[in-house]
Amino acid sequence: MKRLWARQKQLVFEISTRERDLLFEILRLYPLVPPAHHRLSKTDANDQFNENQRLLEEALAAQRAENRKHIQALLNEPGRFQTAPNGLLLKISRSETDWLLQVLNDVRVGSWIALGSPDTEAGEKILVNEETAPHVRSMEIAGAFETVLLDALTGGQDRSR
Amino acid sequence: MAATAAPEVRPDIDRDEETDSRTSLEPGFLVICWNDPVNLMDYVTHVFQVVFGWQRQKAERHMLQVHNQGKSVLTRDSLEKAEFYVHQLQRYTLHATMERDQE
Repeated sequence: MKRLWARQKQLVFEISTRERDLLFEILRLYPLVPPAHHRLSKTDANDQFNENQRLLEEALAAQRAENRKHIQALLNEPGRFQTAPNGLLLKISRSETDWLLQVLNDVRVGSWIALGSPDTEAGEKILVNEETAPHVRSMEIAGAFETVLLDALTGGQDRSR
Repeated sequence: MAATAAPEVRPDIDRDEETDSRTSLEPGFLVICWNDPVNLMDYVTHVFQVVFGWQRQKAERHMLQVHNQGKSVLTRDSLEKAEFYVHQLQRYTLHATMERDQE
């Protein structure tokens, strides 16, 4: 998958059918991060903070429901993926790119949590076996799509000009 | 010249409510982003730009602080605004919390 061009409100990517299938596979995993993962504070735990924590979890649940609607729309929208000489064209708006990044990162972080939150920066290794391989796969694929989207938002020259 | 109204003396209970209200509006809370080895550096920079409206250079500086020092204080604000920012950062699955500023 690579960016072909970027307009003010829209990004256009060239994507193979295999990559599209992988993207759909990853999006269908959403959400993966457990609801209790996010804490409002590390130190405060009084009644007020507990109430605020509950409100935070409600707000995040609402956000997830909204993102799931976006995913369904993306998966089912006719014409979203158009046939092109070298595969498919995927057109997404910049605001769609933002929620797509949220969704992909949820899958990436959720997969990492499922692996036991290994601190790879401290040298901790991820043991790949039959049980962990699906999580490693989804974490890496989600990260790869994130990198393409972030690069499209910030990097490179527009190849169409 | 308009006359200035005499200050109203309120019972103690009202004064307590005033104090509570002031506390929630005072910038006494720190919004902190903690290091997570799983989040991509460019992604963290992007999120800081979106949530706080920062220029890329400032967002990168805070991202590097998170990466190198384990955490970065992103802003100091009122209880309500700090909660808002933490919620925004957690929407993006960043490890963010708010803590009382002890200083």
